Formats: sequence, structure tokens, C-alpha cells
Amino acid sequence: MTSGADTRTGPYLELFAGRGAGGPVGARRQQAIERFEAAGFPGSRDEEWRQTNLGPILRARPVPASGGALGEGGALPFLYPDCDRMVFVNGRYAPAASSPPEGVTAFSLADPAGAGADLLAEHLGASVDGRASCSADAGVHPFAALNTALFEDGVALGIPAGTALERPIQVLWLSAPSADAAAAEGGAPASIEVSFPRLLVVAGENSQAAVIETFAAADPAAGGYFVCPAAEFVCGAGSVVRHTRLQADAAGAFHLGFQHARVDRSAAFDSSSLAFGGALVRNDTVALLDGEGADCTLDGLYVLDGSQFTGNHMRVEHRQPHTTSHQLYKGVLDGQARSVFNGRIYVHQAAQKTDAKQTNRNLLLSKAALANSNPQLEIFADDVRCTHGSTIGRLDEEALFYLRARGIGFEEAHGMLVHAFAREVTDKATFEPLRRDLEARLFASLNGGRSNGQDG
Amino acid sequence: MLRVKDLHAKVEEQEILKGVDLEVRAGEVHAVMGPNGSGKSTLAQVLAGKEDYEVTAGSLELDGEDLQEMAPEERAHAGLFLAFQYPVEIPGVGNSYFLKAAVNANRKARGEAELDAMDFLKLLRERAGLVEVDEALLRRPVNEGFSGGEKKRNEILQMAVLEPRLAVLDETDSGLDIDALKTVAAGVNALRAENRAFVVITHYQRLLNYIVPDHVHVLLDGRIVRSGGSELAHELEEKGYGGFDGARAEA
Repeated sequence: MTSGADTRTGPYLELFAGRGAGGPVGARRQQAIERFEAAGFPGSRDEEWRQTNLGPILRARPVPASGGALGEGGALPFLYPDCDRMVFVNGRYAPAASSPPEGVTAFSLADPAGAGADLLAEHLGASVDGRASCSADAGVHPFAALNTALFEDGVALGIPAGTALERPIQVLWLSAPSADAAAAEGGAPASIEVSFPRLLVVAGENSQAAVIETFAAADPAAGGYFVCPAAEFVCGAGSVVRHTRLQADAAGAFHLGFQHARVDRSAAFDSSSLAFGGALVRNDTVALLDGEGADCTLDGLYVLDGSQFTGNHMRVEHRQPHTTSHQLYKGVLDGQARSVFNGRIYVHQAAQKTDAKQTNRNLLLSKAALANSNPQLEIFADDVRCTHGSTIGRLDEEALFYLRARGIGFEEAHGMLVHAFAREVTDKATFEPLRRDLEARLFASLNGGRSNGQDG
Repeated sequence: MLRVKDLHAKVEEQEILKGVDLEVRAGEVHAVMGPNGSGKSTLAQVLAGKEDYEVTAGSLELDGEDLQEMAPEERAHAGLFLAFQYPVEIPGVGNSYFLKAAVNANRKARGEAELDAMDFLKLLRERAGLVEVDEALLRRPVNEGFSGGEKKRNEILQMAVLEPRLAVLDETDSGLDIDALKTVAAGVNALRAENRAFVVITHYQRLLNYIVPDHVHVLLDGRIVRSGGSELAHELEEKGYGGFDGARAEA
């Protein structure tokens, strides 16, 4: 197990020492770093982490992402039309590329003032770092704690009660590692540039908002950087929050994300996670259904090739009666890619009439690809409906033959079937520019990956 | 058009076809009848190129071209069509999208211009009317949640759209009520043409009341034991397959 003396934590504690704990959330930063120090990084025997090989990240020395300058057009390829947007480069706010939404308390966390400071003081980290969040056994999430302690910048969005935003808000987290870091590609880098993007969304009662997070690299071939984001959603009674998390990092990137939603009475939280990039990627999601009639939908897609690894660790807690949750996670794995899906549904004794459904389906396109799927149900109420299903399989040979017998060539037939499998998730995007982007990324990932797959 | 000679095929080390001879000329309708396990479906799958079946001896030719050298899609491009006994459900792939991809893949392979959306839709509507396929089925994923009859009609629709030179119908009558059977048969009859041939594989004589064959073959234990005209189907109906056991020795 780990201990406070863990030598791997040292460089991160130094980052904190160099930064200090001022500002409206200074006390929480201090508390977070202390918790992190006490818990240390997870060890190989830690059940929640044993399938995630943190070695490549922890062996490298973290250096703050340099906040590299990005040319005027650097963010453009990643931005959608008809959106309000906030752009961050290496974790720092880029106001010139941003157009914050009107009617929303939106600001960079680096310089909060007035109403913003209150929002932060009340909510930031309040539900993430242990208190009032997961059950006791979930413990401290080391990377969420690190984010709270070390984030430079980030965005807080306060949506006033009764307000329905007409346009989605896109938050672009762009990584532009320095040339030095990029050059370290090939072997394990001696140092990695690390950034801690932070998002807070506070949706007032009966408000509606759509937030799209895009994680991308200015140079898709860049390596040697580590993104450690955390996102919090506080969904007030009757609110509807739609969230999309598009992870399209560079091929060599490390990405350990954490997101947390508290969903109040009759509110709905709908979050889609689409993972295409990165070498080592993990996303932990906690959703607390904390009021009667609260609902969450958590969808995900991971499309992996080469030696990519992606883990999705879900925890949905039904804490009140008549709460509903739906999870659909699908994976397409080629090459020697590996994935882990850990889905835990926890139904508290009070949460009668819970309706929970969890599905994880994996499609393996090569012999060496490996998918792990671990559903875990913990149910302490007696009048509930909980179902889970997980499959790990290969392309349906009968369907492939059927298509070919109609004259459709192997490559095209193969592509049609894989697309059909994955599109169940991407088709749920209702914002047209997003849906088109997802489709294009899906197409590119699958077609790029084909060469490494089996051909028969 | 189709020439099958002394065809032997096995699946998982079990020999199913033990020397099948069949010659089909343009414009003809051949019926292949036989009980369960006689090798009817194996013959259909081998013709279409299913990889699970291994041809161990004999030859298969379509217009003089060796089918064994051709991938399933190449056989389709050459004009071969198999109406599946068990059409496959393909969630997530729209029926009309699939049909358009199939039509254009065939056109492309034959060096013809691909159909644009408008032209394809026109063709599809016309053929859907011909085989009485509800347009709602065109918008649904391929065969997903279709009833047995809808699946079989969808097969005939695909045939009507793809306009094959040789269509093999594998127990297209199984699971159909009499109305669906008549519709399917009418669709097939509408497509009968001088330059097109059919091989109708069936267990029962019933379908052959509506699709009247020029030739009937009885398949027993992997061999065609008797061939004749359409009257042979009626003889089968009376005597059952048991009556042909003796014929096996002669074949």
C-alpha cells in the first residue's frame, strides 16, 4: 500500500509548495493537498486502481504546462459554430479565443470576483473531495484532490434559476506541450507537462444548459503531457444538464479525469463521454441521485487501437426514492488496445423504486485486444429494478457474410458494422456540429485502425 | 449459366454434399427439394461463398467462371443472389442505406455509374411496391424486429432491387402463411425473365404451386437422386421422401 512517505508524491507536493494556497478556495486547496499527501498514489493492490498502470505517469517528473502561446487560429479547428465558448491552453484561460455566454455567471477561476467568488466558495470542491460525496469506502480520489490543490485556471458556470440556455457552451481544453516534451516521445519521458483543467457547473432550479468539453492537442502527434481534469456538476431541482466530454488527446498523452455530478429532485443529468485519443486514459464518474425523481444518463464510447488503454470507472448512487439511471458504454478495440469498464451502482436503503440500467458492450477487432468489464451492484433497498449486461465479442460473422453476399466488399461491410455498433452512442448527440464532428472522428479512428486489425 | 459438377463439401469435418450435379440455363426455374439434413441449405451457402463450408471436390461455375475463386461479394457482382433462409438482423444499419450501398457496390464493380439518392429512391419505391414491402420497413434497421414474413419479403425486395442473373432462394417459403407465400411467389414470378434463372430450394411442394418450376431435383443425403419436370414435385407430395430411398442406389 501507499503511505505519506511515497516518493512519487514528492514532485506534486513541490508543485503545490511553489504555488501556494491563496484565493477564495485556498482552504480547500490546502485540505486537498493534505488529503492527497496522506493517501498517496494508489498502489497495485488498490482494487479501484489495480487495472490502471500509472507507472508511465508516475515515473516522469511533472512540470507545469508552460502556458505556451497559441497562434490566433490555433483553437479554431476544435471549435463548433453556434456555441458560446471558453478556451484554455495548457490549463490557462485564453480570453482572445473565448466568447463567454451571456446571462450566465461565467468566469475563469484564476480571477474570480463578486458573484463568482460566492459560487466558488459555496460549491467548488464541496462535493468532490470526500465530504458529502461517495460512501466511506470510496475514499479520497487522489487525482481529484490533486486537481483541487493544483489547478491554475478553469471555468465556473452559474446558470440562474429558470434560465434555459439556447446555445451550448463549449469548453476547449487544448494542450500544446513544448517542443522539448514532444521530443521525448519514443521512450518514457523524463518529465511531463501537466495541467489541471477545472470545470464547475452550477445549474439553478429549473434551468437548462448544455456543456461540451473538448480535450485536444494542438499537435495530434504530440506526446509527453498529462491532463488531470476535474469537473463538478451541481444540478438544482428540476434542472436539465447535458454534458459531452470529447477526449481527443494526442496519441502519446496521459489523461486521468474525474467528474462528479449531484442531481437534485426531478433534475436530469445527461453526460456522454467519447474517448478517441491518448495513450493512457481513465475517466472516473460519480453521479449522486440526491433528490426524489432525479435521473442520470451516462453514455460512453471508446475507440482504441495500438497500445492505447482506456478505463471508465463509474459510480452511480441512488440515494432517494424514484431515482433512475441509465448507462450505456460501448468500446471498439483494435491492435493491442486494452479497456476497463468498472460500473458500480449503489442503491441506498431509502432509494425505493430505483430504476437502474447499465450496459457495457465491447467489440474486439483483433486477437490481441482485451476488454475488461466489471459490473458491481450493491443494493440495500428491496423494491428496485436494477439490470446490467456486459458483452465482449467480435464482429458478427453472419452479418458480415450477409452484407458481402449482397455485393458489399469486405472493407466496406466491416466498416458498416463497426460504425453501426459505435453510432448507437454518437447518434445521441443532438447538437448537429457536435454530432458531425463525432461521426468524422469515429470514421477517422476506425479507418486509421483498420490496418492494425485482422483482415479476416 | 450455373454448372455444378460432382460437388463435395464439408463443414467441421462432416461431409454434407457428396457429389451434386446441377445445370441451370438462363430463363429456367429449378426446384431442389429434400428433407431436413439432405444438404439443401449447404448447397445454397456453398454457392454464395460461405467460408464455413469447404469444397473438397468438384466444381462450381457461373457463366464459365469458377465460383470457388471468388469472394462472396464478387459472386454477387457476377449476378448471383442468395435469399437467406434466416435473414440476418443488423442493428444500426438502416435498410434503405444498406440497399443503396449494395446496389452501388454492384454497379461500381460492374463499371456502371452509381445511383444518386433520388434515382435510388425511385428504384426502391417501385420495387417495394412490386413485392408489397411497407415503406416503414425501409427506414428500420436491416431485418431488426421484422416478423418472419417481413424478413422473407425483405429478401425478395433485395433481389428485386439488385436484379441478379441467378437467384437462389433458400427455403423462402418456411415460416410463411399463405398470403405471404403468394406475395413472395408473385414477386419472384414478376422477376422471371429470359436472361435470369432461379434455384428454388424447398422442403415442401406448396411453394411450387405458385412458382412453377421447369425442373425439379430431389436431394437426399448430399446427392441429387432424381430429376424431372414439375410433376415430380407432386409425386413427392404423395409419396414423401421415403419413396425415393430406393432411387438413391440408382443415382
